[in-house]
Amino acid sequence: MEKLSPQAIIDSFVTELGDGFFGGSVHEYEVAVKRNKFQSLWIEVRKGALRDAVEHICQLQKYPHLAIISSSDLGAEVELIYHFTIYYGEHLQELSLGLRVKLPKSDLKIPTITDLIPGALFTERETQEMMGIEVVGIPDGRRLFIAEDVPAGVYPWRKDETGPERLLRVLPGRKPKGQDKEG
Amino acid sequence: MSLTAFKRALWVYHLNTGSCNGCDIEILAVLTPRYDVERFGIKLVGSPRHADVLLVTGPVVRQMVAPVNRIYEQTPDPKLVMVVGNCGIEGGVFFESYSLAGPVDQIIPVDVYVPGCPPRPEAIIHGVVMAWVKLEKLAKQEVA
Amino acid sequence: MAVGETEKATYTIPVGPIHPALKEPVQLMLEIEGEKVVNTDVRVGQVHRGIEWIGMNRNNPIQTIYLAERICGICNICHPFSFVMAVEHAAGITPPPRAEYIRTITAEMERIHSHLLWAGVAAHEIGFDTIFYLAWQVREEMMDLIEYVTGNRVTKAMFQIGGVRRDITEEQFPRIRQSLDYYKSLFGKLKKVFLDDITIRMRTKNVGILKKEDALKLLAVGPTARASGVPKDVRQDQPYAAYADLDVKAMTPDMLSGTVVGDVYDRIIVRLLEVKQSIEIIEQCLEKMPPGPILAQPKIAVLLKTLTKAEGEGVGRAEAPRGEVIHYVRLEAGRETLANWKVRAPTYVNLMCVPAILKGGQIADVPIAFASIDPCQSCTNRIVVTDRATSRKSVIDYEELHRLSVEKTEELKR
Repeated sequence: MEKLSPQAIIDSFVTELGDGFFGGSVHEYEVAVKRNKFQSLWIEVRKGALRDAVEHICQLQKYPHLAIISSSDLGAEVELIYHFTIYYGEHLQELSLGLRVKLPKSDLKIPTITDLIPGALFTERETQEMMGIEVVGIPDGRRLFIAEDVPAGVYPWRKDETGPERLLRVLPGRKPKGQDKEG
Repeated sequence: MSLTAFKRALWVYHLNTGSCNGCDIEILAVLTPRYDVERFGIKLVGSPRHADVLLVTGPVVRQMVAPVNRIYEQTPDPKLVMVVGNCGIEGGVFFESYSLAGPVDQIIPVDVYVPGCPPRPEAIIHGVVMAWVKLEKLAKQEVA
Repeated sequence: MAVGETEKATYTIPVGPIHPALKEPVQLMLEIEGEKVVNTDVRVGQVHRGIEWIGMNRNNPIQTIYLAERICGICNICHPFSFVMAVEHAAGITPPPRAEYIRTITAEMERIHSHLLWAGVAAHEIGFDTIFYLAWQVREEMMDLIEYVTGNRVTKAMFQIGGVRRDITEEQFPRIRQSLDYYKSLFGKLKKVFLDDITIRMRTKNVGILKKEDALKLLAVGPTARASGVPKDVRQDQPYAAYADLDVKAMTPDMLSGTVVGDVYDRIIVRLLEVKQSIEIIEQCLEKMPPGPILAQPKIAVLLKTLTKAEGEGVGRAEAPRGEVIHYVRLEAGRETLANWKVRAPTYVNLMCVPAILKGGQIADVPIAFASIDPCQSCTNRIVVTDRATSRKSVIDYEELHRLSVEKTEELKR
């Protein structure tokens, strides 16, 4: 399949997802002495259109590379970014594609993509345990990194009351976090 | 069994409780031909039941508390525990993390500390020599 | 339900945290039938230190560089490298070209030392302790060079947001070239020792095969992917720093042997070829080094203020000795710590390939096959083996597993 330009890719998303597409932008930066230019794409989709978006990416490139799913706590919402890269294998050709999805904290559910990309298993498990999101349909939902004696309901990446503050080690001579001046 | 047996050889068992491997690599570099401590009789063994000294690296992560205790019990007396690296002494750069169960001396008693992040191979050899000297002093007190 | 906890017969091999090649402990639960491994369950988490939380809640971005260095003690140039690139993209800071070249040189020196470290470890797993000592002795020359250039053997602290902290001046070039010549003269000998030895061939050919299809589906990176014929290399595909000026090709085993099988032998080939490639890259960088400053903003107080006011997000990708490292950083105006930080080390992805690699192999091949992905979690903390035929659970020490591996070598020699 031929390689599309970044703007053509955004247009193809608009056509494919219709209502599910929320926004897209292209960022450019230059590197080193020869000032080669690189572009990266950022696309935002609605929660319900996530699986369609991932299927569309699998059509742009047969085995897209998913680097990681990162998640941010934005107060009332949680934002997930699926960091994809496509067109790898040739010099200077790879394109980074960041797929954004926003979830309201009242309904933290996202469908799994492990049937499309089996290598997404670890990163979905980690997002589940660290951010408190439920990945619907995940084949193996066990904890990945956190120890068993950490109680359920403690989510290290969150900035609200479910964060791990009460599990922090207090150094001798200091008061626990929140009681001293720096908070 | 008298401690004077240590005058010939010191068998060391290495235990990683969740470190970044910087200290572990320097411990292994100590065995290679550049520093070569085997000529002094110091040997790395594969099981705690044969060890005289436990070399512990890393801040103790919660999941590793039970293995650390188990290995400490499996090592026969007389034994010494040596902590290598800042992580084991007071958590290093991770000191406040929610997933640490405390520095090593809160879990097992420690005899020698080698600070550094990571300490140079020369510092580790110095630490082992200090451990040896301490053992010999204990032997003299026992005999006397 | 976990794979290893079936009610069928189980052979349990817990392996103590011993291994000369230590890296972080990991737990493998193997299911076996007779002598062959049928399935594997990988359990991680024994080195989780909560680093991302510390970066987001306690440290400002400059302190986080030193925290990122201690994620791994072996590849501790690539983590600060991609972190610094991510922050620079988020804050809109461009490092000067000379700094890019110095970063590239230190990254390639780290690659050489890491591959030689792995070569020694792999030889130890097979039972050739002499080669283990030889490889590590050869590696000491590179450690001396790293200390000469950066000031320390491990945790080099070369990176700063907007450039590097120490310069490589023209007076230092002859010493660097001397070390590179030493390695070039040794390359023929290393190749002979690792690739032409009959026993190593017998132990590593057709062992631990990862097919190209699996490598693509399971998102393998680094030499593990390249040995299976997938030419993924961040230095080639989306170059950063000085690689954008050079022409770096992903090394695949057919460049030396003509075919791609995807076994442990191919991974040895890929790593040795990369050592040679790194030497060439360092030489090219020394020749083309541009003059100029090494920091975009030398005053730290001013830099910190810029970062506190900056708003944006950035992604930094680098090629570590083990594969692709990616860091995602988000900065918010007015907040001194990072708003968000995500780290992904290459072994995270390569561990998912372990079930495919170990499937169909023998127990005695588990140490070498597992070590061939060069896990930055290689020390198998405990291996639990489940035998489907008999129903016995027994506990074997890692020493036993290693002994099985060494015995197999002895048998092959006869």
